Amino acid sequence: MWQKSPNHRNLSEEEEKKALANAPSLRFRFILAGVLVIGVIAGLAINLIFDYSQKLADLSYDRLLRSALLQMDENVGLMRNEVSIDIPWSAFATLAQAEEDRVFYKVESLEQGFITGYQDLDSQPPQPPVSDQIQFYNQEYSGEMVRFAWVQRHITDPETAQTVRIILGQTRLSREQMASAVTQKAVEVVVFIVLVAITLIIIGSHLVLRPLHRIERALEERAMGDLTPIDINTPKETHHLKVAINHFMARLQTNLEQLENYTADAAHQLRTPLASLRALAENARDISSLGNSPERQHQALENIVNQCDTLSQTVTLLLNQAVVSHRLQTHRLEPIDLLAPITASCREQAVTALHQGVHLSLDCELKETMILGDSFSIQQMMQNLIENAVRYSRADVDQATEVIVQVSEFERFYRIKVIDYGNGIPDIEKERVFERFYRGRYDIAGSGVGLAMVKDIVDHHSARIQILDTEPKGTTFQVDFAKFRFDEGTL
Amino acid sequence: MKRMLFCLMLIAGLVGTRSWSAEPVWFGHTNAQRVLLINSAMDLASFAPILKEFVILHPDVRVAYRDVNTLELYYQTIREQKKPQASLVISSAMDLHLKLVNDGYAQTYQSSFTDRLPDNFKWRNQLFAFSLEPIVMLVNKKEFPGELPEDRQTLLQTIRQNEKTMTKRIGTYDIRQSGVGYLLASQDARQADVTWGRLLEAFGSHDVQTYCCTHDIIDDVASGKLVLGYNLLGSYASQRAQEDDRLKMILPKDYTLMLMRAALIPKGAPNAEDAGIFLDFLLSDKAQKMMQTQGLLFPIRPDLNNPNDPYVVNAPGPTGIIELDQQLLVGRDYAKQKRFIRNWEMALEISDED
Repeated sequence: MWQKSPNHRNLSEEEEKKALANAPSLRFRFILAGVLVIGVIAGLAINLIFDYSQKLADLSYDRLLRSALLQMDENVGLMRNEVSIDIPWSAFATLAQAEEDRVFYKVESLEQGFITGYQDLDSQPPQPPVSDQIQFYNQEYSGEMVRFAWVQRHITDPETAQTVRIILGQTRLSREQMASAVTQKAVEVVVFIVLVAITLIIIGSHLVLRPLHRIERALEERAMGDLTPIDINTPKETHHLKVAINHFMARLQTNLEQLENYTADAAHQLRTPLASLRALAENARDISSLGNSPERQHQALENIVNQCDTLSQTVTLLLNQAVVSHRLQTHRLEPIDLLAPITASCREQAVTALHQGVHLSLDCELKETMILGDSFSIQQMMQNLIENAVRYSRADVDQATEVIVQVSEFERFYRIKVIDYGNGIPDIEKERVFERFYRGRYDIAGSGVGLAMVKDIVDHHSARIQILDTEPKGTTFQVDFAKFRFDEGTL
Repeated sequence: MKRMLFCLMLIAGLVGTRSWSAEPVWFGHTNAQRVLLINSAMDLASFAPILKEFVILHPDVRVAYRDVNTLELYYQTIREQKKPQASLVISSAMDLHLKLVNDGYAQTYQSSFTDRLPDNFKWRNQLFAFSLEPIVMLVNKKEFPGELPEDRQTLLQTIRQNEKTMTKRIGTYDIRQSGVGYLLASQDARQADVTWGRLLEAFGSHDVQTYCCTHDIIDDVASGKLVLGYNLLGSYASQRAQEDDRLKMILPKDYTLMLMRAALIPKGAPNAEDAGIFLDFLLSDKAQKMMQTQGLLFPIRPDLNNPNDPYVVNAPGPTGIIELDQQLLVGRDYAKQKRFIRNWEMALEISDED
């Protein structure tokens, strides 16, 4: 009666666990995304720190190197036209601040050649030499990477002019130590921040998802059949979920109620004919046992057969109703030609009506009548209406040999009229004919559910049904279906 | 560098090879498995007890001890850089030793003992100092004219006042021959340039006697040939002054230089493990205490409980500790060294040809 999962079965606990393990985790994704972003940022930060700490260490120790170089440079002089240098103790005291670093130097004059220091030191700077401009560069010497400062200067006195080069270098031990100390501190801070951030993400993810767990718990803890709305306080973000669940439960409740009604209907429908069948059968048995005439016995059996027909009709009706109900629940309304189900229904009923002495006619000049609807349901509706009209026409001989089905067009809707010339329905009853199991007249066969089903179908199509009196007498059922407009329909 | 090397080697060659080919002295069992060769510029008298103690503690090590002059020690280490013979090299010429380390001839060694050593007593974990001694004047009390000098100023006065007595009777290092002599002279020049100039002038005008080694000077002071030895190593002077009544050790009041003896393990040295073990032993409390109680050397951390101990330095004036760092390289700068030696020769009116 309502849509079910095609392969519905209860999952075992193990299967559920397996499904849970395979299911993507919202929290895991959230944490993963967070950790990835933080990781990338931290990686960039650490990269920057490495670079920066190297620069910082070089900057600091280059100052020492420059200072020492300048002190040496200041003590270069000309003595008897020869360049001489008296390296001040303080120059190397400056360098000794880099406690463990080896020191290499060379002083030479372009004219005079090697003056002092380490003769095999390469005195060519990496950049083109410019006088009085100190250059710093790294170069390997004596098996170690050495930071060199280089300077060149012209010395002149009246008799001679010379170009002096001083190269002073120290190994990079202190620089690396300083850089790694800076890096280590900074990396510690970064790692700490990363850990805090990840912890916050984990806690945050827990907090964010907690309302979901609360809803889950609230649902889990419910008693069987409790379909009342969830009434717990949840944050805005989960409010819609809660509303959706409540909405869903309301629909479920309606469905359940319908099912209950239907079951009650069916039971009711079947009980009366069965009881009557039993009575007829007993009657037939008694007649035969009393030895009455075979005509009466035949008549009694005929009654049983009739009753069986009626029962069969009722079962068919109930089945149809179940099908219609199911369709209404599951099938979307789609654009259809209203005439098709009406014509089909009329054609189907015409012969049956004629058997009962009623002439059924369809009065329609329209070519196309598009509405949003379900063809099968409308056909069922028409069948019920026509059957009803035929049934009540037969009751009286006078004039009531005709049932007319009329379809006409209005500006916004199509109107279907089913007109009979029976006795008509008293005004008091008009309001009750759509009630389930209400039967106008008990002398005429009927189930009492046909019109109720009609009402359901009409409601489902958002159509309108009215019961009017036919002139001079009789009843007219009038149903209005809204026209389908393509511009609306596509929306 | 090569020119300087050549120059200095020439000097060394001229000066002769007093201890260079000397046979090593052996300690320990002859059938010990391992041999530890120590090249050292230190009198065996000061070191023998420590070596004996070491071979008792490590019976599987046999120690060969070769006494080498400080300057020769430097060249020998460089000469043997490809295939060093010595496992450990000990010198009092801190500057030459530091230069060896700076120029990459030493290997790194680290142990709990070296870690305990204060930073200013080691460099790069390649050079380790194990003693700290004062640089002193030693006088012959009988022969010295007038009052004994307190400092360099009073020494100058005495020289000027007693020109005859003092002529040819002052002894000091030949800085061309002795590495430690050069170091002390250059440190004097650094500490007090003017005083050093006057002293050098006075030495020159009174025919100062130059020696290669401390104990030769001490011998001559003891015999009365000299009245005063200038810039002597405190450990040797102190030892002799205690034994010999004629001698008196004076710590100059204006400033007293403090010198470290340092050891290094040459790069690629054989049996470097035992060299490390011996180094640890030198730095151990036991050896340090031996130096003090047996009057061998001035330990780095003397036991101060006995204030009258001659091996606790009680300098009357400020002490100028010769720092074990890159500054020592300045004194050994080729140009500076050449100039300094030339000035010294000119002042003392001697030259290579003498």
